[in-house]
Amino acid sequence: MPKDKNLWKRFWNMQESGVLLATILFMVIITCVNSVFLTPDNIWNVLRSTGFTLLTTLGITLVLISGGLDLSVGSVYALGGTVCAKFLVMGLPVWVSIIAGLVCGLLVGLVNGLIIVKLNIPPLIVTLGMMYVARGVVYVLTQGVPVYPLPEGFKQLEQTSLIGAVPNVVILALVLAVVMNVLMKRTPLGRSIYAVGGNAEAARISGLNVGRVKLFVYVITGMLAALTGILMTARLGSAQATAGTGYEMTVIAAAIIGGTSTYAGVGTIWGSVLGALFMEILSNSLTLMRISVYWQNIVIGVVLVVAVIIDTYRRVLMRRRELNATK
Amino acid sequence: MEKPILTVRDITKIFVGTVALSRVGFSLYPGEVLALLGENGAGKSTLMKILSGAYPCDSFTGEIVLEDEPRRFHSPKDAEDAGIAMIPQEINLELDLSVTENIMLGKMPRNRAGLVDWKKAHAEAAGLLQRLGVNGVDPHMPARSFSSSIQQLISIARALYRKPRILILDEPTSCLTESETQILFGAVRSLQEKGLSCLYISHKLNEVFELCGRVVVLRDGKYISEYTKDEFGTAPIIQDIVGRKLEDFQKKTRSVSQEEVLRAEHFHVAHPYAYGKKIINDVSFTLHKGEILGMCGLVGSGRSELLGAVFGALPKLSGEVYLEGKKVSIKHPSDAKRLGIGMLTEDRKKDGFIGCLSIRENISVTVLNMLTKRLFIQRGKEKTLAADYMKRLSIKAPDMETKILTLSGGNQQKAIVAKWLATDMKVLILDEPTRGIDVGTKQEMYQLIRQLADNGLSIIVVSSEVQELLKLCDRFIVLSEGKVHSVIKGEDASEEVILKACSDL
Repeated sequence: MPKDKNLWKRFWNMQESGVLLATILFMVIITCVNSVFLTPDNIWNVLRSTGFTLLTTLGITLVLISGGLDLSVGSVYALGGTVCAKFLVMGLPVWVSIIAGLVCGLLVGLVNGLIIVKLNIPPLIVTLGMMYVARGVVYVLTQGVPVYPLPEGFKQLEQTSLIGAVPNVVILALVLAVVMNVLMKRTPLGRSIYAVGGNAEAARISGLNVGRVKLFVYVITGMLAALTGILMTARLGSAQATAGTGYEMTVIAAAIIGGTSTYAGVGTIWGSVLGALFMEILSNSLTLMRISVYWQNIVIGVVLVVAVIIDTYRRVLMRRRELNATK
Repeated sequence: MEKPILTVRDITKIFVGTVALSRVGFSLYPGEVLALLGENGAGKSTLMKILSGAYPCDSFTGEIVLEDEPRRFHSPKDAEDAGIAMIPQEINLELDLSVTENIMLGKMPRNRAGLVDWKKAHAEAAGLLQRLGVNGVDPHMPARSFSSSIQQLISIARALYRKPRILILDEPTSCLTESETQILFGAVRSLQEKGLSCLYISHKLNEVFELCGRVVVLRDGKYISEYTKDEFGTAPIIQDIVGRKLEDFQKKTRSVSQEEVLRAEHFHVAHPYAYGKKIINDVSFTLHKGEILGMCGLVGSGRSELLGAVFGALPKLSGEVYLEGKKVSIKHPSDAKRLGIGMLTEDRKKDGFIGCLSIRENISVTVLNMLTKRLFIQRGKEKTLAADYMKRLSIKAPDMETKILTLSGGNQQKAIVAKWLATDMKVLILDEPTRGIDVGTKQEMYQLIRQLADNGLSIIVVSSEVQELLKLCDRFIVLSEGKVHSVIKGEDASEEVILKACSDL
């Protein structure tokens, strides 16, 4: 696409512009309605929950760009937290327990990826099955009872902060977002993920290892989901069997609102960062406006569909313009 | 002269910022086959979409007169009801429905109870196919189980079922073989005798000359000229189409070294549709350095499957490949790429280019590893590479960041060739390199292929256009029923010899 001199047009052509505008608009409205929004406490709250959403959204973004889907992240979130907590309760060191939790995420991702790649089963089915299996394992491990008490050293991971008042999860999520952004924009692996999502057959003919690319995105997503679960366990001080229920939908919605296309091959990491932020600001402001939790789901659903509608039509317009430019 | 059945006058269609058609007009007479010629982007498709109602009547200016009566089409259904049936270039059948359902869709015959009369439906479908000269197609079978050429004929049967007065054919032969093309022409001629008028769009001039009584040339959205049958001549028409004089690409006898580059031995490849059958049965061939080898055969003779298997894109049952005398193992396209073999596939949309990426990214996709230093793709190097190939192959686009999806077929094809040229290749396989490409770009493509071969690259070309192979190739291998029927030297080859060999005569 030719670079436009007009700043406004360049902004409009950016994939992330829609969600950025919506986020800012929402913040202005909510500040007018309820001044609590802008208090430091509330802002840190919003950012912390954004961090928790964002961690896995980063992985899901790669999965969606590569043309896949992962519904198992909510269950893996619970699995990572539970395994880690079980190890801690058994008296093992903090780092061993964390690694154990991450390995669980890695294994789940590996199994997902291998079945999808080697046996050629649609990701929707494979990860739906894995969603049940992983959740089942969590129930078997915990017998439905919360796992606690957890050592102070572990809880401090998310209950204290490295830099001032910034929650650790926010620091971690931002660092990972920067890394992922570089991965997607500058490395051959990132380019391959876009290529596989855009046209897997053409990517294969061009000599790319499509299977390895797919495996990578599921493994990294599994690990990120487990990591999120571990951090949430540290924050709450206990592991719950029901943790992360519905989390998979939140992260998929965040990625899509952030401009990741459901047609694959399109999406950016910064878009997903904004998508996650938008989701959390939305639910925070609905709460501040004293809108019942029961109504919140309705709003989120409507916003998701409207975001995709706007995005689809913008794409049609842009495509038409580009076509005319080449004529 | 008779009264025209269809007259269009002063059609102007403007897309945001560009004029696609500017005051175009022509007439079509009963029982006539009229060809519309023009390069990609000349406005042919736009005009056909207007005639078939795909662009509603408010979106353009001008007049469509059908048998003295001005018509305004709001939707494709209006056009269909008026008797204009269009067969689009891309096959759009419901692949999982039966042949009968595809033909009768929406107009199923009913019995007295108001239920679908299947017996009658199947019989009528079979009858229509018979009229088109298609034999051995069971109308109960799903459309998916037939080759794309049969599918094309099924779409024509669907159009005929609606008893049109005007039939629009948009590049109907792009995936038909010569003999299937003849079947189609036979069908069109017999329809013509019954008074049906046809608008025929094609890039293949020899077909147009054979079938059509008159041609209209469009260029840049404008009416340029008109020729009747006795005025037909390749040179003036091509000049009108491209708007400049073209050096016609001529056959040339090249001296090719006898040094062997690639040898494939005893290839067996399973049939993609028929379980337990082989589409390639014990085929061996060699390719010499700097040679352009033509791979001939009817659709279904296994040309693409053989080369796909050599390249590692399709699984083979057995077979060995020797590269420069050494036995090599190719299990995946990446193996072939590493060894210096590149392949341009038959269907560029399906497995050629990557639509969501830019021209730059499509060119560099095969050489990402070569462009990478310490984990990162070197942007500068990548841009230089892309700019270099865009210039060398004269890819026309605003810039290298343009999405490849928005380019014309010819430019897309050039970008795919570029991605292979970027690798260090010894052998290049080209499967239908000029399919759906306009005349001007075709000539460029021929020049390029010969130039590459002159520089020592060994090239295998598959094409359904025998004329094209005759001009390009130094040697021909004819496949028939899964075996090598014959190997023909350049000086012995003629259209007749090759076509005879293809049909195993």
